[in-house]
Amino acid sequence: MKKVILYIVVGVATFAIGYNVNAVYFSDRSPIQPIAFSHKIHAGDNNIPCMYCHIYADKSTVAGVPNVRKCIGCHKIIKQDAPEIQKLTDYWNRKEPIPWIKVHNLPDYVYFPHKRHVKAGVHCQTCHGDVAKMDVLTRVSSLKMGWCLDCHTNGAVAIIGREVKNGKDCWTCHK
Amino acid sequence: MGKFLDKILERFKIYRIPGYYEKYDHKWTMVIDLDRCNGCEACVVACNAENNVPVVGKEECGNKRTLNWIRIERYVEGEYPNVKVKFIPIMCQHCGKAPCETACPVYATYHNQDGLNVQVYNRCVGTFTCATYCPYDVRRFNWFTYKRDEPLNQQLNPDVTVREMGVMEKCTFCIQRIRAAKDRAKDENRSIRDGEVQPACVQSCPTGAMTFGDMNDPDSKVFKLAKSQRKYKLLEELNADPSVIYLKRVMKDGSSATHEE
Amino acid sequence: MLNRRDFLKLVGVGGAGAAAGFALGEKSKNPSAELIPYLVPPEDIIPGVANWYTSVCAQCSAGCGIIVRVMEGRAKKIEGNPLHPINKGKLCARGQASLQALYNPDRIKNPLKRKGERGKGEFQEITWEQGIAMLSENLSSLRNNKRETEKLYLLTSSIRGHLNSFLENFIKAYGSSNYLQYELFQHENLLLANNIAFGQDTLPYYDIENTKFLLSLGADFLNTWVSPVNYSQGYGHMRQGRPGIRGKVVQIEPRLSLTGANADEWVPIKPGTEGLLALGMAYAILEQGYYKGRDAQEWKNILNKYHPKDVAVLTEVDERRIRALAKEFAVNKPSLAIGGENVASYENGASQLIAVNILNHLAGNIGKNGGVISNPKGASLSNRRGAIKKITAFAKDASNGKIKTLILYNANPVFTTPKTMKIEDAINNIPFIVSLSGSMDESTAMADLILPTHTPLEDWGDDFAEPSVGYSIATVMQPAVSPVFNTRNAGDIFIDVAEKIGGAIKKEVPWNSFDAFLKDSWKKIYDKNKGIVIQETTFDEFWDNLLAKGWWRLPDISSLKPGHISTKGINVYLQKEPSKFDGDDKNYPFYLCLYPHSGYLDGRGANLPWLQEMPDPMTSVVWGVWVEMNPKTAQGMGIKNGDMVSVESPYGNINIPAYLYPGIRPDTVSIPIGQGHRLYGRYAADRGVNPIEILPFKVDPRSGAIPLNSTRVKITARRDAPGNMVKMEGSTREFGRKIVETVTPDEFSKMGMEG
Repeated sequence: MKKVILYIVVGVATFAIGYNVNAVYFSDRSPIQPIAFSHKIHAGDNNIPCMYCHIYADKSTVAGVPNVRKCIGCHKIIKQDAPEIQKLTDYWNRKEPIPWIKVHNLPDYVYFPHKRHVKAGVHCQTCHGDVAKMDVLTRVSSLKMGWCLDCHTNGAVAIIGREVKNGKDCWTCHK
Repeated sequence: MGKFLDKILERFKIYRIPGYYEKYDHKWTMVIDLDRCNGCEACVVACNAENNVPVVGKEECGNKRTLNWIRIERYVEGEYPNVKVKFIPIMCQHCGKAPCETACPVYATYHNQDGLNVQVYNRCVGTFTCATYCPYDVRRFNWFTYKRDEPLNQQLNPDVTVREMGVMEKCTFCIQRIRAAKDRAKDENRSIRDGEVQPACVQSCPTGAMTFGDMNDPDSKVFKLAKSQRKYKLLEELNADPSVIYLKRVMKDGSSATHEE
Repeated sequence: MLNRRDFLKLVGVGGAGAAAGFALGEKSKNPSAELIPYLVPPEDIIPGVANWYTSVCAQCSAGCGIIVRVMEGRAKKIEGNPLHPINKGKLCARGQASLQALYNPDRIKNPLKRKGERGKGEFQEITWEQGIAMLSENLSSLRNNKRETEKLYLLTSSIRGHLNSFLENFIKAYGSSNYLQYELFQHENLLLANNIAFGQDTLPYYDIENTKFLLSLGADFLNTWVSPVNYSQGYGHMRQGRPGIRGKVVQIEPRLSLTGANADEWVPIKPGTEGLLALGMAYAILEQGYYKGRDAQEWKNILNKYHPKDVAVLTEVDERRIRALAKEFAVNKPSLAIGGENVASYENGASQLIAVNILNHLAGNIGKNGGVISNPKGASLSNRRGAIKKITAFAKDASNGKIKTLILYNANPVFTTPKTMKIEDAINNIPFIVSLSGSMDESTAMADLILPTHTPLEDWGDDFAEPSVGYSIATVMQPAVSPVFNTRNAGDIFIDVAEKIGGAIKKEVPWNSFDAFLKDSWKKIYDKNKGIVIQETTFDEFWDNLLAKGWWRLPDISSLKPGHISTKGINVYLQKEPSKFDGDDKNYPFYLCLYPHSGYLDGRGANLPWLQEMPDPMTSVVWGVWVEMNPKTAQGMGIKNGDMVSVESPYGNINIPAYLYPGIRPDTVSIPIGQGHRLYGRYAADRGVNPIEILPFKVDPRSGAIPLNSTRVKITARRDAPGNMVKMEGSTREFGRKIVETVTPDEFSKMGMEG
C-alpha cells in the first residue's frame, strides 16, 4: 500500500515537472520569427503608433500585419546594412511575403473582432502587454476563455468605463 | 454540492420567467408562407454554402447521416389522379421553451438573450441527448470529420466554424449575419433595420416565402405577418413555443388521413 | 529500503509522469499558425472584411444577376443581385452551387495534349505557349489551302453577349461560316412557334406575377424551365403578394412536376395531346362567345375539327373539364397559358406550342399585364437562331469528312444526343479536335488538345438575357476571384491564335485581351447613348457604375407591337393528331417522358457535390437516378420501391431503380436527365444512367429540335441486380399529424385582406 502511494506521489510530481518544463522551456509565447523584428525599436525607441502598421485594427476582425512594401518603404533608406534588414530586402527582392509566426493565435471557433475592442476604447497594451519594451514579442496573456471572461463579466468597467453588453453570452465570442 | 446544484438550477430558471426575452433588444423570428413555398430547395443549398455544411456522400446519405440544417419535407397524399403534394421547409425552430436545452448535460445548448437557441460547438461532447429530445428532428450529428477535396475548402466561410467529429450542430438563424448586422449598426450608431438581417435561406428564397425579423419591433414585417389568420406553429401542442411561424397553405382537401387506406 | 527493482519501477513511473505532463502541456498549446502579410496590398481589400462583386450566373441560360462575396481573394457565397430585374436578389440552388464549379477539384488545371489513343482519356500537360502554337499551326495549315477554311467548325454552348459577337468575328475573319451553338434545352420549338404565330422570333416575358389564372401545359417553370427564379418570384407574388387576390394555377402534364405539385389542379393528360387540349379549349372559348374579335367566325371555321367531345377522347380529359377550364381561362382576366419543355419535347412540339399561343390570343392575353408580353429584340447580340438547326448537319458533315478542325467550347453533344445519332463516331472522324472546356466531359475527352478556360467567376464577359422582362437588359460579368488554375479566357486564346496566324485575321481582332475588347464594345454603346439614356459624363464613370450595379437597361432596338395571330395560313401548323412515339404499344406499353433534373439540368450540374446531395424535390433521391412509375402499375408487375428495373426502348435499354410515384399516369414512366456521365469528374462519373441514350434519332426539320418524348418503352424487373437508390424521405404520408396545415380557397377568401 505504501508503495502504491509512493508511485502516485512520484507520478504526480514528475507529471507537474514535465508540464512546467514544457511551459517554461518550450513555450509558444515567444516563437522565433523569420526576421528578428523588435517591437522595442519600432514602438518603443522610435515611438511609432501601433496603428501605423497594424492598420486594420479598427476596421476588421484582424489587426493585420504590415505588408512587405510598407516595411521596405522605410527600410530602403533606414539601416539597410543591418543583417536582419537584409533578410527583409531579400524577401522583397524575391517577391515573397514574410512567413511570420502567429504569437496570438485563437482557435477557429472563437470570434474575436479587434475592431469592437479598439472602438470600445481598449488599449492594445491591455491584452498585448507593453510591447514597446519587448525586443522579442512575447504573449503576456493566456488567451484562455477565463482570461477573456475576466473583462467580459466585470473587469470591463475599469478598462472602458462600462459593462460589456451580453458579455457572458457564449455566442458573443464563439462561432 | 447542494449549493452548486442550486446555482445551476437558478441559471435555468431565469430563462423560464415569462417575458424574459421581451426586455431584451431582439426576439428573432421567422415567418414562412407555405402558400408561397414551392419546394425548390434553393434554401438548402444556400444554407450549405453559408454554414460550411459538409457533403457526406451517397453511403452516409443512405445511413440518414446528412448534415443539412434545413430540409424540405414533402408529403404526397391520395392516389392517382387525385394526388396532393405539400411542401414545408423545416429548420431549427428556436423554441422559446426548447426541450433540447433542458437535456444537455454540459450546457452546450441554451437560449441566448436574442431569443435564439444556440449550440456551442466547443462545449458539446456529443452525448446526442438534445437530438433525441428534439421533436422537430433538426439537430445533426457529425459522425465523422468530413474532409473537403482541395480546392473546395477555399469556399469555406470564415465567419462560421468548421465542425469536427463528435459534435452536434444545427441551424443558427445565421447568427454570423445577425452579428455582422449588429456590428454595422453599432458603427453607424443606430439600431438594426428591419430586413437588414437575412439568413441565407431567406435571402435566397425565390418565391419570397420566408421572412426574418425582430418580433420585438412592432413595425417589422414579421410582426405584421405573424398577425395573419393563417398562422400556426409546428406541433404547437407540444408547447415548445417555436420562433418559426408558418402560414397555412391554401389548397383544397389538404388534410391527410390518419392511417394508410 | 528501496531495492533495485522498486527503484527501476519508480524511475519508470516518474518518466511516464513527466512525459505525460510534457505531452499535456504540448497538447494544450494552440496550434501554431503563420501570419502571411500581403507583399503589396490590393486596393479596397481589408482582410476579414468581405467584398462583393457583381456578375452574371451562367449555370443556365436565364441570365440572373449575381453578387459574389469574396474574402481575401476567395469566393465564399453567391447571392442574387438585389438590383437585377430578372431575379431581384434571389437565386436558385444551381446558381448557389456554381461556387463548386469554380473550386471543383476535377477542373482541368493546365493545357493538355492527347497522349494515347483518342477517347482513352490519356493526356499530358503542356504549356500555354505550346498549346497556342499547336492550335495556330493547325489553323494556319488549314488556311494555306484557301478552300479549307470552311472546314473549321466552332461548336459552343449557347453563349450570348460580346463573347458571342467576338467569336462570330473571329470565325468570319478566318473564313469559315461554321459557328454553331448547341445545348439540350435551347427552346427551338418555342422560338419557332412564336415566329409562326406572332412573327416574333423571341421568347416573350410571361407576366406570372400579375396573372389571375395560370394554365401551364407541361411547363416546370418553378424548377427548370427558361427562367425559373424570375418565374418563382412571380409565382410568390401571384399567390400571396396581392391582398385579396390569389392566382390559380392549373398544371396539365402526364407526370406531376414540381410546378404541378404546387398547382391547384393537376390534369394528367395523355402524353402528346396537350396541343389538342389547348385547341379544344379554344373551340369552347369560341363556342361560348368569349372571343370578341372580328375574325371569330374564321377561327371557328379553322378550329371546327377540335370539338371538346372529340378532344376528350384523344386527351383522356373529361369533356366537362375541358369546357370548365376553357371558361375559367376566358373569364378570369388576366389569364395566361404557357407551354413548357414537356410539350416542346414532342416531335410536333412546335405545333402544340402554337396551339398554346392561339389559346392566349383568343383569351385576349397577348400584350396584357398578367399575360404574354413581348420582349424587344435588344438581345440581338445573341445571334444564335440559325445555329441551332445545324447540330444534325454538323454530325453529317463530321462523318462525311467535311470537318478538319473542331473547336469545342462548353458544348457536350456526346452526352446530350441519342446514341442512335452516333455523334461520337462522327466526331471521331474529325482529324483535329480542340476543346476549350474547363472540365473533362464526354466530348472534351475526345479532344487532341485541351486549352482550359476560366469559369464565369474568374472571367470577363457580359450577357444579354433572353427572355428579358419586357425590356432589354445587359448584365456584366467581372472576375470575382483571380484564376484558381492555369486557365484562360476563351477570347484571349483566339487573340493569341490570331497573333500567331497574323495577316487579315490579326487585323480583325486588334485587341490585346478580351477584356479590352469588352470595354471597347461598351465604349461604343456608351458613345451611342451618351446624353440620351446615359447621364454619366465620362466612360470610366459609366463603366465603374455599370460594374457596381451589375446590369444596364438597353434602349430598345425595336419595340414589338403586341402580336396578333392571323388566321391566314395557321391551319397548316395546327396539331392534327397526338404525337407519335416509336415502338408499338403491345411490346412497349409505356410512354417515356424525360425531364431535366432540378439540380443537374442537362447534366452540367452533376459534378457539383451540393447538387448531388440535394434531395430531388419530388422524390428525395440523392446521388442517383430513378425511373418514376405509377404504384398501381408497379404493383401489377411485382416491382417494389427501389427495385432495379430494365427500361427498354426499340433502341436500347438501361438498368435503373424504380421509384413508385402516384403523380404519374399508369401508362407513362419518367426519368430525369443529368446523371449517367462516363466522365466529368469524381462526383459525376459512373453514377446512374443517361436516359437520352435510348432515344430514337429524330429531328424537327423546321426547328432542329431533337424530341425527348419520342419513344415507348417496356419495363421488366431485374431481380438479379440490387437496387441502389438512396432517398432521404421516410414515409411520404402525413398521417394526420397536421405538419403542413391548410385552409381551403373558400376559407381563405373569407379571411379577406388580412389572410
